[in-house]
Amino acid sequence: MSGNVLQEYLEGKIDFAGQKLVDDIVRIWLIAATAISFVAGFALQSLLVTFSILGLSTVALLVVVIPPWPMFNRHPVKWLPVAETKKSK
Amino acid sequence: MHSVYSRINNLSAFLSTCTMVLLAAIALSSFVFNADPKGDLLIASVKVYPAKSHRYPRKKLEMGFVNFNISADLTPLFNWNTKQLFLYLEADYQNTKGVNNTVVIWDRIVRRKEDAIINVAGRNKYAFKEISSSFKNAPASHYSLKYNLMPHVGVLTYGEAARTVEPVDFSIETKPYEV
Repeated sequence: MSGNVLQEYLEGKIDFAGQKLVDDIVRIWLIAATAISFVAGFALQSLLVTFSILGLSTVALLVVVIPPWPMFNRHPVKWLPVAETKKSK
Repeated sequence: MHSVYSRINNLSAFLSTCTMVLLAAIALSSFVFNADPKGDLLIASVKVYPAKSHRYPRKKLEMGFVNFNISADLTPLFNWNTKQLFLYLEADYQNTKGVNNTVVIWDRIVRRKEDAIINVAGRNKYAFKEISSSFKNAPASHYSLKYNLMPHVGVLTYGEAARTVEPVDFSIETKPYEV
C-alpha cells in the first residue's frame, strides 16, 4: 500500500488539460527565455548574462511544470458509469 | 506529459533545441562586429649574425635578430563572443633562391580586454633562420602583426593589425652575436 502511494507521488500524474497547459507553458517560456537571454546578453555584451538568464529561467520552469501541482489536475477524467450487463442481472 | 519523467524529457528536449538556436545566434552575431583596428609596427633593426646549427654543429647557420616596437589598441576586437586573441608577428621575406617565406617570429595570447592595448618593445621570441642557412642577398622585407580572433562559439577569423610601411633591410653582421 505504502509502495503504491510513493509510486504515485513520484510518478506525478496530471490530467489531459494539465498536459496541454504544461506543453504550452514549456514552449512559450523557453522561447521567451532564449530570446530575452540573447537580447540582454547582446546589449550588455556578456555571455555570462545570456547563460545565467537561460539557466535560471529553466530552473524556475522546472519548479513550475515538473511537480503535479493542483492546477494541472482540475479536469479529472469523468468515466462513464459501469454498464450493467445481462449476466449481473 | 502525463508523468514527471515525460515532462522532464519533453522539457529537456526542447531546451536543447533552444540552446542550439541560441548558440547559432551568438555565432552569427560575431559578423555584426567588424572592427578592424590598426596599430603601428616599427622595426628598429634586423641583424643577421653567423651562428652554428644546434643539430649539426659543423654547419653554419645565420640567425636573424629583429628588434621591433608594436603599439596597437586591439580592444575593439573584444566583444561578447571573443574568447581570446592570438597575436603574431610575421616576417615576410624572399630568400636568395627567390622563394617567398613567411616566418612567425613573435607571438602573444591576449585573454582579457584590459590586456588588449599592446605596447611592446621587444625582440623575436622564436629563432629566425633561413633554411638555406644564409640571408645573403635577401631583399628588404616586410613585417606584419597579424591576429586570430578566437570566439567562444563560431568561426575563427584572421586579420592584420599592423604592417611595416617600408621594407626593412637585413643587416648582415660578420662577427658572431655577443651578449
